[in-house]
Amino acid sequence: MQSKLTDIELIEQTLAGNQSAYADLVKRHQRFVFTLALRFTKTREDAEEVAQDCFIKAYRSLQSFSGNSKFTTWLYSIVYTTAMTFLRKRRLDTSSIDDESNLIQVENRNAAFENNMAENKSRSYYVNQAIEQLMPDDAMIITLFYKGEQSLEEIAVALGIEPNNVKVKLFRARQRLKEKLERNLKHEVNELI
Amino acid sequence: MKNIEEELWNYLDGLGSEQERERISQLIATDKAYQQQYEELLSFNNELESMELDAPPMAFTYNVMETIRTEEASKPLKAAIDNRIIKGIALFFIVSILALVGMALATTNWNSVTAGGLKMPADLHLPSLKNIFNNTALKGFVFFDTVLALYLFDGYLRRRKPLGDM
Repeated sequence: MQSKLTDIELIEQTLAGNQSAYADLVKRHQRFVFTLALRFTKTREDAEEVAQDCFIKAYRSLQSFSGNSKFTTWLYSIVYTTAMTFLRKRRLDTSSIDDESNLIQVENRNAAFENNMAENKSRSYYVNQAIEQLMPDDAMIITLFYKGEQSLEEIAVALGIEPNNVKVKLFRARQRLKEKLERNLKHEVNELI
Repeated sequence: MKNIEEELWNYLDGLGSEQERERISQLIATDKAYQQQYEELLSFNNELESMELDAPPMAFTYNVMETIRTEEASKPLKAAIDNRIIKGIALFFIVSILALVGMALATTNWNSVTAGGLKMPADLHLPSLKNIFNNTALKGFVFFDTVLALYLFDGYLRRRKPLGDM
């Protein structure tokens, strides 16, 4: 059962030395943080690693959380920087072997896509699939806006950009998502015919 | 100038002034192009709102807390010591040294200092080294200094280690 205390109350208890209060905070936000991490990493294993890293970093710097913004806004800014660092690191580690594995991954994805054709999938499945095909930044902004209960101003704080910039990015991300969704659905219809 | 889609997204997101929203609302009710695109975007918007979050493995919270507990347990002594204690110790030594220098200067018989050199006062009796090293207080003092030196050396070695990611 999850705690009924607010995030701020749980933070105060954690800072007073109650570690189980922090466990409650983790339980409360783990799904969202994991989903955000997955938008960047694309694999569950890496997403788990990034999400864990985020919660550990947040715990270490909990004293620096001033309370001027929502805890989630602060936490999501940690997710964003951690995920970006992860991507940068992965890009540095990339070699020709990785390129090959990427190809295999894409092929597997296509195979999985083909295999799933026969199944009757809900439209939300296709939305998620289209989100996976977006660039991490686009996927993150859409997830923050629709599932993170974050306003444009709060998203701007989390991503370290101007609110107007967020508005433009959100508009473009939705356009790209719509295009991908339409293309995927069209592809399936053609396959069925 | 904004296109229809941009205007409709602003309307769906609840952005824009009251007049602007009123204008868009009117257009949706009267203009076919607006109406058609509005319905399309509304349905897409509802799909985005109803998308589900992914769930991490069951042991996720346990793993996070376990890592935190392990980190806490292996926290270096340095982090556990309050900086005020260090400053207090430093202040104690500075005051002690200043007091000793002050006392030495105050008890010096400056008349005995001649141009040829420094004469020791006749009534000055230096304690023998044997007495000094038998003194329990001094032993305690040396022990404390040794611990402090080891602590500073430990800190120096830790600083030399490459820093990992935060």
